[in-house]
Amino acid sequence: MRLLLKAEWIKLIRQSKTYYAFGAILIIESLILFTAYYQGSTILDLLLDNLKQSFYFEGSLLNGNLLMYIVLNSLWFNLPLILMIVTSGLVTDEYKDGTIQTVMLQAVDKWKFMSAKYITAIAFTVFVILFMMLSTFVLAYSIFGDGDLVVYLGTLNFFTAADAFHRICWAFASGAVSMVFYAVVSLTLAVMIKESSKTWIASALFLIITTLLLKVDFGAEVINQVFFPKLIDSWQQLFAYEPDWYQVLVNNFMLLLYALGFGGLGIYIFHKNDIG
Amino acid sequence: MMRKIILLILLIPQLVAAQQIDADLLAIKKKMDAVKKFSANIVLDLDVPFINMPTKKARVVYAVGKRMEFTSKDFVMLPKRGLDFSLAEIFKYPFITVDRGVEQRNGQRLKVINVIPTTPASEMALATIYMDSKALQIAALDINTKKEGSYSLLMKYNTPKDVLPNYVEASFAIEKLKIPLNFMGKGTTIDRKKMKSMETKTGKIKMQIRDYVIN
Repeated sequence: MRLLLKAEWIKLIRQSKTYYAFGAILIIESLILFTAYYQGSTILDLLLDNLKQSFYFEGSLLNGNLLMYIVLNSLWFNLPLILMIVTSGLVTDEYKDGTIQTVMLQAVDKWKFMSAKYITAIAFTVFVILFMMLSTFVLAYSIFGDGDLVVYLGTLNFFTAADAFHRICWAFASGAVSMVFYAVVSLTLAVMIKESSKTWIASALFLIITTLLLKVDFGAEVINQVFFPKLIDSWQQLFAYEPDWYQVLVNNFMLLLYALGFGGLGIYIFHKNDIG
Repeated sequence: MMRKIILLILLIPQLVAAQQIDADLLAIKKKMDAVKKFSANIVLDLDVPFINMPTKKARVVYAVGKRMEFTSKDFVMLPKRGLDFSLAEIFKYPFITVDRGVEQRNGQRLKVINVIPTTPASEMALATIYMDSKALQIAALDINTKKEGSYSLLMKYNTPKDVLPNYVEASFAIEKLKIPLNFMGKGTTIDRKKMKSMETKTGKIKMQIRDYVIN
């Protein structure tokens, strides 16, 4: 298994697609940060406009923490697309290059082979989130500094700089679980579809549908609580003034179970089907 | 004719009384006039229905003839009205007082007077002052301004000797938030009933004032 994991990592490191993904993330991140700076002052104006009649403010809210929050809101659609392209390539490239037949001629268990791919995809996703988190922190704090965060979630919630940083870190952790889910789904789609461009389209469609379903009220409370599209943005709950940490934990745990289910399905399909 | 004379005789004492400034208020003013400058640390707690803000710390500096200045390392929201516990605004322009009797508040027997500015230059239209005439301390104030609505102050002191309060609670009216729909966060639902009930609310800012340096 260790050898399989090592081989997958080497493939991932050697493929140019991986570096394009990192480059794309940096570009998107910088662009979001740049526009967030201008968007940030507009948002603050909108939020605080009628409060200005009654209050005067001491200190600035246009800082690294607000920009990080705007980045968090903007990145969770762009990032899964990039991740899905890279991770699905772990399977589709093998089919395209015909290397999968070569590997299967060796004494390699099919489930071990596919499990290694899933583990690599998950590890890569976590690594990308860490990279993105660190680079955004460095860019946001070095350019725009530290300060209190204001968020509107039904009420205006203010957080001290330290508390905001703490919540943003946990939001990245919760976001990472969502990204792992998307990466696993894309790999399963790759197992089912086998062809890269078709897998990308299916993955993008899955992402769009999930995002759309996130906003749909299904009426039944159970569906609203356990259906996976509803669990994708659990990180937002961390910006409630008094977050329900238990609920966030449960949501992320359920999403991991979904990921496990999709992963298991992919391994089962791969194991069942003939390599042709 | 006789009626007019009787009416005049009846009104004269009230008019004379109205023109006088309450002696206790003058004594309080004298006590406060001795404070030329002060600085203190403030712990602020904002209590507004649609705003959640953690406890904040600020520093206040006051000098005679200047507005109170607040500084803070954190982001703080301070109401535009109601922070002047030096009462400089009240005593800034000439005024008359009207005795409103005595009232029992929070177990304290307080003298109530109305302060009416006698010049149109004053921003204040009317102030009702509740004062402890023994300790010569102001316990509460209801202030009506000409342009910026009304607000109230509740003040508590460490000891009866203190000139300045160690706790001030300012209450003020605040308009509801008007957030554009496109900024509503994901998962935020609009409760129209709740929004309507929030058209105008009363906000409070509670200030614990510590480490006074009085000059």
